[in-house]
Amino acid sequence: MASQDDEFTKLFQDFYPGLCRFLECLLGGRAELAQDLAQESFLQLHRTAWGTLPVGEARFWLYRVARNLAINEFRKSNTRYRLFDRVVEVMSPTARNPEQEYETQERKELVLQMLRSLPEDQRVALLLREQQQLSYREIGAVLNISESKVKVDIFRARTALRERWTQRAKTVGATAKL
Amino acid sequence: MMCECAEKISLLVDGELSANEAKEVERHLLSCAECQQARAHFLNVRSELSAFRSTAPQVALRNELAKILAAGSLQSPFAPGRKSFAWRLGPVAAFATLIIASAVIALIFVRSSNKQPAVVSQVAAKPSPQPVATGPEPNASPAPEESPKKDGQKDQSREPKNATSPSRRPTPLPTPRPGEQFALNSEPVRSADAQTMTVTHFEKSEILLRSFRNVRIESGSVAEVKYEKKRAQQLVYQNMILRREADASGDIQSSTLLESLEPILLDIANLPEKPTESDVQVIKDRVERKNIVPLLQVNSAALARALD
Repeated sequence: MASQDDEFTKLFQDFYPGLCRFLECLLGGRAELAQDLAQESFLQLHRTAWGTLPVGEARFWLYRVARNLAINEFRKSNTRYRLFDRVVEVMSPTARNPEQEYETQERKELVLQMLRSLPEDQRVALLLREQQQLSYREIGAVLNISESKVKVDIFRARTALRERWTQRAKTVGATAKL
Repeated sequence: MMCECAEKISLLVDGELSANEAKEVERHLLSCAECQQARAHFLNVRSELSAFRSTAPQVALRNELAKILAAGSLQSPFAPGRKSFAWRLGPVAAFATLIIASAVIALIFVRSSNKQPAVVSQVAAKPSPQPVATGPEPNASPAPEESPKKDGQKDQSREPKNATSPSRRPTPLPTPRPGEQFALNSEPVRSADAQTMTVTHFEKSEILLRSFRNVRIESGSVAEVKYEKKRAQQLVYQNMILRREADASGDIQSSTLLESLEPILLDIANLPEKPTESDVQVIKDRVERKNIVPLLQVNSAALARALD
């Protein structure tokens, strides 16, 4: 039992931060919700599959569950989160180094904004590839889709992002000239 | 217009092409500016997403783990079907939240109606709450074709307000600089010396990895990799220096490639004196999977052309 807990602890330490990051990007920047869902994924793993699942499979299992939990969240009404986010935003203290903080936040917002514009299946496939370095076969296994769909989704996501960035650059350039 | 090979470029950067296909695409890359741009953009996307750091506080990590381990069969605070934020806090907290929320909303409206520029710029600079609700539902997510236009419109509407208002923030616009394609896609500011060293480093690494790829091992015997080990040990140190330098000067493309190369060099440098077939094969597989050899070749050629 103790060694199983040790193994679980190691798995948690190895994958929890990455899972939080993945979920935060997937959920459009809702960090607290991302953390909740990451914990819930680990909890489900610990309760239901831990001990029966091969250790090598646990990572994929976690990402599959996390993604499903995120989809459930998408489907719920988000009004309360919007309101809550707004409250937190207004009540939060001013950054200690406003310039640096602002630039970091700006960069993150830009990335999240672009990700939000992608359809969910493309966004998940791209994040699993770029942040978790999963192969197409592994992504297919996590999402329960074929490798060819993974290939198409990732390519479409990249193409769409490219078009948006180009469009954005043009718009910003045109605005600057005015 | 996009070259028809663009999809293969996507596969190339992911290391999902066979060796023959990869060589074919590399050859095409040398002569197709459109595909070179696509590859640079795809790598920039990778760099941005890899650099994304979660804002979730990690300090509580140990506590959260303890909770999960202790939860066992107990009801978890994160159990499926959890209730809304307000209800989880209990009725008193929910009431308090509602009061605070109403007060804040009232404050925002009052300030907005008074047209105080500081608040306007602050709210405008923050993430708009509407897109947060985006998800798989087609109604909730903005149509892909409309997104850039909407962004542009928002930027245009924000700019005059910020330009004329005494903003509290030193950098007034939450938009990239004109001509910027992808946040970090600005011209890298690197000295010619550093670029020359990077080109040479890429070429040396490419030769090393090709040599390593050709190491043949009879089953049951040990591999002869003394040369490769020694060479990798020399290159690892240089790789670290060049990567830091590329990071500092904002050359994301070189930095990303050097970052991918470093663990491979380390693995080769740390091989045992008499490695087994599987020791070598693991690294060979990784080299193939990451498609690092073609990337080194293409990047060194591109950098060398830029220097000319």
